[in-house]
Amino acid sequence: MTTLTVEHIARIEGHGTITVEMESGVVSDVRMDIVEAARFFESMVVGRRFDEVSLITSRICGICSPNHALTSLKAVEAALGIEVSERTVLLRKLLLYGSYLQNHATHLYIFAAPDFVGLPSVFPLAQTHPDVVERALRVKKTGNDLTTLIGGRPVHPITAVVGGFSAEPSVAELRAMAVRLEALVADTIATAELFHSFEVPQFETSGEMLALVDGSDYAIYGGEVAALDGGWRRPASEYRSFISERVVGHSNAKHSTVDGRTFMVGSLPRINLSAGQLMPRAAEMLAKLGIEAPSRNSFLNNVCQAVELVDAAERCAMYIEQLLGIGGSSKPESFSVHASSGAAASEAPRGTLYHAYGIDDDGIIVSGDIITPTAQNLGNLEADMRLFAPTIADLPKDEFILGMEKLVRAYDPCLSCSVH
Amino acid sequence: MAPRVVIIGLASDFGCQVQVTNMEDHLLDVLGLMDLAYWQLASSGHLPDEYDVAVIEGAVTTAEHVETLRRARQTAAVVIALGSCAVTGGIPALAGTADFDSRYGVVYGDGVQVAPGRQSPMPISSVISVDYHVPGCPIDPSEFVGVLSRALMGLKDNMPQDPMCAICKTKENVCFLDRGYACLGLVTRTGCGAKCVSLGRPCSGCRGISPEANIAAARTVYADKGFSPLELDRLFDLYNAAREAVL
Repeated sequence: MTTLTVEHIARIEGHGTITVEMESGVVSDVRMDIVEAARFFESMVVGRRFDEVSLITSRICGICSPNHALTSLKAVEAALGIEVSERTVLLRKLLLYGSYLQNHATHLYIFAAPDFVGLPSVFPLAQTHPDVVERALRVKKTGNDLTTLIGGRPVHPITAVVGGFSAEPSVAELRAMAVRLEALVADTIATAELFHSFEVPQFETSGEMLALVDGSDYAIYGGEVAALDGGWRRPASEYRSFISERVVGHSNAKHSTVDGRTFMVGSLPRINLSAGQLMPRAAEMLAKLGIEAPSRNSFLNNVCQAVELVDAAERCAMYIEQLLGIGGSSKPESFSVHASSGAAASEAPRGTLYHAYGIDDDGIIVSGDIITPTAQNLGNLEADMRLFAPTIADLPKDEFILGMEKLVRAYDPCLSCSVH
Repeated sequence: MAPRVVIIGLASDFGCQVQVTNMEDHLLDVLGLMDLAYWQLASSGHLPDEYDVAVIEGAVTTAEHVETLRRARQTAAVVIALGSCAVTGGIPALAGTADFDSRYGVVYGDGVQVAPGRQSPMPISSVISVDYHVPGCPIDPSEFVGVLSRALMGLKDNMPQDPMCAICKTKENVCFLDRGYACLGLVTRTGCGAKCVSLGRPCSGCRGISPEANIAAARTVYADKGFSPLELDRLFDLYNAAREAVL
């Protein structure tokens, strides 16, 4: 038997190792070992005050911190019965989309693109293809600037608090951002075309696909959980009733199943379940690229991220127009603290994110539960790796490894999130 | 020859490494000053046997981390601690209570044993000597560029030492502590430009405790505002639970 390992896979967030075992040229086992050490966030919030939770959980992930911060705020608000204003919701959506633009641009250009052009990193492209690198940095920077405008900085937002915001940008700043976002649409379309030009294997995942859906919007901030194959919809707050988590021996990340199957979350499941809610130019892009939703090819998650970039640029310009039109306030709502519990979900760039907390009469957290997108995806990723490895097993070793790494990166895993 | 720089991640959320990529306007210029020999987050390749500068993010939580740090110290002429996790233990150190081992059972279920080699999260200075520090959760990219430039030029570390309060006053912020809110600006290392307070939130101490802070006097001030010693310690713990290792 021969064992192939790729230790500390590059260009993903966190530390993981691929192990492939072969018996006389035939793949006998494939594992994704998460060597990232357990981080215990669910136990660390216990004993802290309810209004410190978002500060702590934001630090689960430096790349999608707004998503953790806002999902924990929503869970605390659900517990305490706090309804936030329409203005707060719009500002929060903009904060989440800032995170989307930054995350998807970073993943597509810095993590994934080098695979398709045969380079170890994106940096050499600065000499050979400066236009591409400049575009990548423009999209990423616009996302960071949007997050900073609403949240105060690109990583770990400051202003998002229980019930609203502690500070808001000025009208002039918002108007200037809307103009930049509108101009960014062209860059995001070019990004989608670039990723469409990269050849991906014909492949079908065997797993279910889940995403939040919302009849009136592309569901990022909230909604019900929908299952593509199962055809059902369930309240996100009841996630513990349909997602099962189990501890696996080779990983500090738990694996998840739904209806007894592994499942995928992320851009491809979202587009599969909400293609009808895409903004006009994103929908046009999807049609032009010939992606017929629903698709089961996990490798298309990258190009779906690019379509979501088009959608995000268009949509955020629209949200800012709405925000400038509605008035109202994002000042934190008044509320009383009492013993309670609450759960909430949002769509993070990598998929559905769930947070739930129990609070006592003094506002101290007594329990915490978090399921991250990558923890949900890992079981399905391993299942995909087992299906895919035999189809490329006759390639030279370097190409085989690259093929496996491409599959891993298609899922855009965040391993430090997965061992939260 | 350009100095060979490696970026190494221990236990963290990668946020400070992400902040390094967030210097979009200057990233390529900064990279041009050095030979970036290893950066798992952004490039394929292995940690080389020789390099000049090790930039280390994250807290120490495993025996493997300890080994990585010792090797980095032996290899590199210069070690830079990147971000609160590396400088003070940061948020990860919040898990480093006396009942640390029981957290496995709480998170992974009854009967799950402590992983071999695990230890309570600690700052990297608990294992090796550190030449330069970039505090903050997350770091400010421009502060990192400043520290890296000093390191490459051979200048000494100039991590700010004073408490944050004084700079906050110059921003004309209304004082949270005066209004009865627990703001740690009185004891927290400055250098952030009072960013949080300026945006309507009290300081929670992410840059670590200032060595110039008069902790005894501060305790009296907090007590006058109604914060008991126990509550104050709980507030310090948020980012500085491992403070005994760095003070």
